[in-house]
Amino acid sequence: MLHSDIKSRPIYTQLEPDLSGSQHLLIVEGDTVLPGRLDSLAGTFAPVEEQLHTWLVGTQAGGLGLGKVWRLPDVADVVDAFACATRGYGIGDRLYVQGTEPFLWSVAKAAAIIGFSADQIHLHHAGSLRRRVWCTHCHTVTENVTTSIASCAGCHRHLLVRDHFSRRLGAFMGVMVDAEAPGEVPAVEENFA
Amino acid sequence: MIGETLRLKVAAACAISPSLRHLRLVAADGGKLPPAAAGAHLQLVLKGATRTHRNAYSLISRPGARDAYEIIVRRVPASRGGSAFIHEQIKVGDVLEAGWPGNLFAPVRTARRHLMIAGGIGITPFLSYLADFAFGGADYALHLCCREDEQHVFDPWLAGKSGVSVHWDTDGRRLDIPALLAAQPVGTHLYVCGPAAMNDEVLELAAAAGWPASHVHCEHFGSALSGGEAFHAFLAKSGVEVSVGEDESLLEAIERIGVKAPCLCRGGACGVCVTPLLEGEAEHRDHYLSAAEREAGRLILPCVSRARSGRLVLDL
Ligand code: FES
Repeated sequence: MLHSDIKSRPIYTQLEPDLSGSQHLLIVEGDTVLPGRLDSLAGTFAPVEEQLHTWLVGTQAGGLGLGKVWRLPDVADVVDAFACATRGYGIGDRLYVQGTEPFLWSVAKAAAIIGFSADQIHLHHAGSLRRRVWCTHCHTVTENVTTSIASCAGCHRHLLVRDHFSRRLGAFMGVMVDAEAPGEVPAVEENFA
Repeated sequence: MIGETLRLKVAAACAISPSLRHLRLVAADGGKLPPAAAGAHLQLVLKGATRTHRNAYSLISRPGARDAYEIIVRRVPASRGGSAFIHEQIKVGDVLEAGWPGNLFAPVRTARRHLMIAGGIGITPFLSYLADFAFGGADYALHLCCREDEQHVFDPWLAGKSGVSVHWDTDGRRLDIPALLAAQPVGTHLYVCGPAAMNDEVLELAAAAGWPASHVHCEHFGSALSGGEAFHAFLAKSGVEVSVGEDESLLEAIERIGVKAPCLCRGGACGVCVTPLLEGEAEHRDHYLSAAEREAGRLILPCVSRARSGRLVLDL
């Protein structure tokens, strides 16, 4: 489910330091790190360790000690930290984010708001495929969707979860699945566990 | 004024320094001019005694102005003719032919901050930027590097503008470009316009400081670049041979014999003039072709590039 013919579906890459950057900020959603994977991430970023800050978010497998490490309880704290950044971020800085898609895009959006450009941000998907879904009818965002059809948290319509993705909203589009024939809802599949 | 070209009357012409002339151009028919945005340039057709020059100049008039276009022209020491013509021949009341304004160097609207570095006359596109930013309240800084004796030449356009620093080659007045580039916040866009050596230096330093390429913009002035050894070119489609003189560009030689060739910036930047090269080896001087395209040797930009040796055959 990480690949799609839909062009707006983001494509993620492995994280590796962009050596042209001046400062490097690595933000990891803690529970997406598999045992042993932290060490390999540490190895990958070793060349820029002097210029590296790592933010570990949420619960985590301990042990990562990469550059200067800061622990934050929740992605909302990352967003806050960007919004009231006392240290300005530089045009030569690079941001690397690992986590689920809702996490990646929450961080990427917050970074974009303070001026990071897309080519300064590297995103790597890890962990659950759960999606943030934006209802095209009532514009409510439904979090943690793992099924092909989900009930909108706002208007309770049955939404077909599309691969169409909005970078601005950081969410997949959800469209009413039984608009033509009310009540005819196809079988729900657990696609994004 | 509707038509493929504009007819402009010289309303004022004055020397603002021994080597700089300021021109104010209005529509010859007294009408309104097409508006141009910040960073736009104007291509003037300059009909000299022996040949016609087409040179592009940045508009320094207020963006959107429809009453007049203003330009500043530096007299190039070994002038190919265009700048000497403007300095020596043009007088108030003359009518010139010009293309519609084009814009290859517009400021990026989504930028958080604009950092401009100008070398001498390279300040001209930024004079229109400043006029533009004054409205929008954009955050910006302009660094002008020039000769000490020219530090006040642009004052009439800089008066009352904050964020402008002037540098020249003396202890304490030099611009520390690496330090400047390293200190810029995310969301900054860099614009550089100056002599080729300065442009190249700034671009290299920006890359070294980690600037994303999408945030770095450069305007080259190509006019001084296009001369070189004389050579011949054969235009295969038109079936004519043209000899290109030392002080004219391939494009100018093609235009001189009356063959129509597309162009826009005339400085090797826009790629509009790109022409298939059927035979011969080009000396590429443009900023448009990729390394692979140069290597392949099948394309040439006649506005700046020449023959490495002997003769070129163009599909024109
Ligand atoms: S006219 Fe723009 S590259 Fe030649």
